[in-house]
Amino acid sequence: MSDQTPLEKFKYGLLKTIDVSGFKVFDPVARLVFGEEPAKQVGEITRYMIVPIIFVCFCMAAWNFIAPRHKTKSGEVPTPKQVWSALVTNHTLHLRENEKQSDFQLIGKQREDTIAEIEKTLAEKEKESEELKSKLVEVEAECKSEQEGQLEPLNKALGELKAENKKLRDERTAEATKVSQSVIAKSAQSDELLEYLREDSKMTSAAKDNEKELKDDIKLVRDDKPKKQQEARLGSSKVANEVQHLKKRLDYLGTGNRSVKVAQAEEAAAAALAKLEKADTAPATLTAAKAVVKSEERASKIAEQEYPRAATIWFQVWRSLFTVFIGFIMAAVVAIPVGIMCGLNRIAMACLTPIISVFKPVSPVVWLLIFQIVVGAFFPDPESHPFFRFFASLPWIGTLKVNPAMIYSACTVAMCAVWPALVNTALGVSSVDADHLNVAKVLKLGLWQRLTKIIIPSSLPLVFAGLRISLGVGWMVLIAAEALSSSDGLGKFVWDEYQNGSSHSFANILLACFVIGIIGFFLDRMMIVLQRSVSFDDGAAVV
Amino acid sequence: MSEFAMEIDNVDVGFGPPSQRVEVLDSINLQVKPNEFVAIIGFSGSGKSTLMNLLAGIQPASKGTVYMNGEVVTGPGPQRGILFQNYSLLPWLSVYGNIELAVKTVFPEMSASERKDYIQDYIDMVSLTGSEWKKPSELSGGMRQRLSLARTLSMKPDVLLLDEPLSALDALTRANLQDEIIRIWEEDRRTVIMITNDVDEAVLMADRIVALTPGPKATLGKSFDVELERPRDRTTLNFNHEFIQLRNTVTKYMVRINEEAKALRKNANLPLPDLMPIDFLSVGNQPRKVRVELEASNESTATEDKRELVGAGVEND
Repeated sequence: MSDQTPLEKFKYGLLKTIDVSGFKVFDPVARLVFGEEPAKQVGEITRYMIVPIIFVCFCMAAWNFIAPRHKTKSGEVPTPKQVWSALVTNHTLHLRENEKQSDFQLIGKQREDTIAEIEKTLAEKEKESEELKSKLVEVEAECKSEQEGQLEPLNKALGELKAENKKLRDERTAEATKVSQSVIAKSAQSDELLEYLREDSKMTSAAKDNEKELKDDIKLVRDDKPKKQQEARLGSSKVANEVQHLKKRLDYLGTGNRSVKVAQAEEAAAAALAKLEKADTAPATLTAAKAVVKSEERASKIAEQEYPRAATIWFQVWRSLFTVFIGFIMAAVVAIPVGIMCGLNRIAMACLTPIISVFKPVSPVVWLLIFQIVVGAFFPDPESHPFFRFFASLPWIGTLKVNPAMIYSACTVAMCAVWPALVNTALGVSSVDADHLNVAKVLKLGLWQRLTKIIIPSSLPLVFAGLRISLGVGWMVLIAAEALSSSDGLGKFVWDEYQNGSSHSFANILLACFVIGIIGFFLDRMMIVLQRSVSFDDGAAVV
Repeated sequence: MSEFAMEIDNVDVGFGPPSQRVEVLDSINLQVKPNEFVAIIGFSGSGKSTLMNLLAGIQPASKGTVYMNGEVVTGPGPQRGILFQNYSLLPWLSVYGNIELAVKTVFPEMSASERKDYIQDYIDMVSLTGSEWKKPSELSGGMRQRLSLARTLSMKPDVLLLDEPLSALDALTRANLQDEIIRIWEEDRRTVIMITNDVDEAVLMADRIVALTPGPKATLGKSFDVELERPRDRTTLNFNHEFIQLRNTVTKYMVRINEEAKALRKNANLPLPDLMPIDFLSVGNQPRKVRVELEASNESTATEDKRELVGAGVEND
C-alpha cells in the first residue's frame, strides 16, 4: 500500500487507534473530519453519539429535579451543581496544600519576597472581607425587616384565629354543660349529649388544623433564606476563607517555616555551646555538654521535617491507584505461573480446584480482616521497619505514606483479584490449538521453548482477558477495603465524609462515586488496549 | 541402510477402547524410494490424514513399524517436514517470524546474519517477498500455504509430507501452487509423499500414485507409475494421450474400489437381534432380566445404523 498519501496513512492510523482503544463511538467523527461520506457519518454520529448524550442529559435533569425533593438526615440529596462545586472545593483545598507545602520549604530571599507579596494581598483581601461582612450585615437586616413585614400580617391573622377559636370552644363548652344538665333533668337523652360532644371534638380538631396551616406558612417564611442573603453570605465566607488561608501561609512562611525553625534550633545549639565553654565544674560541664548534644539532635531533626500535608482528594486518588496496582501485580505474579501450571498439568489443576472453588466466593471483607491480623504481625513497629523506611525513601512513592494498612488493603485486592486471572490463564493454556502443538511436535521443541514460543503467546489474549476482570474486581474491592480499614485512599475519603456528616459530606460522597467510576472506566480501557494489542485473531494486533 | 527413504511395514492404526474400537488403517505397506514423488489418493474419511500423521510420527502405530532410511520412526521430527492442510501457522508471528522459529530450532548453530539471508531465501522462493512482516491473518489462503511450505522447506527435511496441501484453496490458486511446488521440487529434489483427493493433481505432480481404499479399515491398493516426461505442462497435458489414459485408469479404479467397498458394506450381515414380538400385556409381568436384554439388543442395532451412515458419506466424493 505504498500509494497512500501521508494524510491517508495518518487517517488509517488514527482509525486503527480508535478501534484498538475501544472508543468506536469516535470513529465516525474522525471519518467526518477527513470528509469521508459525510451524510453517513452524520447519521452515525446522531444515532450513537447525540442520542446517548441527550439521554445522559435527561438523566442529569431528572437527578437535578428529584434530588432536592428528597430530604434526608444529612440534608437534601445534592444536585449535579453541588457535586461540581464539591469538586471545585476539593481541588482548591489541594492547591492550597501545595502552596503551604512550598511555603514551608521556602528559604532566603524568596521567602521574604513571598511574605511581602502575601502581606499585600492579605491587606487587600481583609479590606474586601470587611466590606463584604458589613454588606452581609446590611443584607441580613434588610432581609429580616422584609421577613418581618411578611410575618406581621400572618402573625396577626394567627392571633385572631386563635382568639376566635378559643371563643367558639368556650361557647361550645358552655353549651355542653347545658346539655348535660338537661340530661340530669331528664329533659334530654344522653345520646344527644354524646352526639353533641362528638361534633364538638370534630370542630376542635378542624380549628386546630386551620391554626396549623397558618403556623406552617409562618414557618415557611421564617425558614426561607432569601437568595441575595445566601449569596452575600457565600461571598463573604469565601473571602474570609481566603483571608484565613493567607494568614496560614504567612504562618508557614514566618515562624512555622522550616528554615526559620532550623535557625532557631541552631541558635539554641550555639547558646548551649557557649554555656559549655563557660562551665567551670565537672557536673556543670556534663549537663551543658548533654544540652549541646540534645539541641544538635533537635536541629538535625527539624531540618529533615516535611510539611504535614492534609489528605486531599487527589492524594487519595493516587494512593488508591498505587494500592490497587500493588495488589494487581501481586495477583498477576501468582496467577499467571500457577495458571500456566494448571493449564499444562491436569494433576496440578485437580490439586488447585478445591482451593479455588472454596476461596473464590469468600467476601473481601473477611480477607481484609484476616490480612489485617496476619500482616500486622509482621510489622510490630511499622515506623522503624526497614520495609516501610525503604518505601518512604523512594522519590514519588515516599509521599504516598506506605503503611501496614496499605499493605493489607493491597493483599485483600490481590486475594480477590487472583481468581479470574488464574482461571482464565489455565483455560488459555489448556485450550491451545492442536495445530500449533503439532508445530511444536514437528520442531521437537523442549518444554521451555514450547511454553515460551507456542503456549504463552497463544494463550495471551485469554490471560489478558482474565487480568482485565481481575483489575476491575480489584478496584471494587479496594474501595471497600479502604473504607473498612481506614487505609488512606478513596474508600477512606468516602468513609470519612460519611462519618463527618457536615453539609458538604453528601456532595463529597457523590463526587467520590464519580471519581471512582471514572478511574475504574479508564483502568478497564487500559486493559482493553493491552488485551487487544496481544490478540491476533481480529487483525487489530498492531497500533 | 535401507534402499527406501520411507517404509511402512504392515501397520495398523485404530482408535478407542477394545469394546468400540475403530480400525482406521489396516495392514498398510508402502515403500518410497529416495527422491521419489509419491501421491496417495483416497476418498475423504478414508484415513488419509491419519496416514500422514503416522508418517510424520505424530500418530503412533497400533501394530507394525514405520521406517525412515531404515531407522524406526518413534516420534515427529524436522527431518520429516509436514505441510498441514490447515497451514498451522502461528498467528502471533509474522511471515519472517514463523520461518525464523523453525530455522532457529532446527539450525541453532547458524549465525544471525546467515540466518537472516537463509530465511529471506525461502521467503523469496515461495514468492512472499515484500510480505515479510505481515501476520498470517493479513495473508490470503494461498499465501498462507506458501508460507507454510517455506517454513517446512526451511527445515531441510529429508522427506516432505504434504497433507492435502491445496484442498482448501480455490482452483486458480491451486494450479498456481501446484506449479510452484513442482518447480521447487525440481530445483531441489527430495522424497515427497503427498496426500490428495484430486486425480488430476496426482497425475500432474507425482512419479507414482498409490490408492487408499475407502475406510474404515483402509489399506493401500494398486500402485500406478506415472511415466510422463518432466517438466509437465498443464496446458498441453490435457491433449496428451498417455495422461488421459492414466487419469481414466486411476479414476476407474478408484470408482471400482468405492463400489466394491459399498457392496461389501451392503452385503455385510448385520447381526439382527434374536427377538420375538413383544407381548405388551405380559412384559410387565416378566422377570426384570428379560427387559434388560431387550434394551441391550436395541442399542446394538442403533450403533450398526450409525456406522452405515458414516460409511455412506464416502459416496459423496
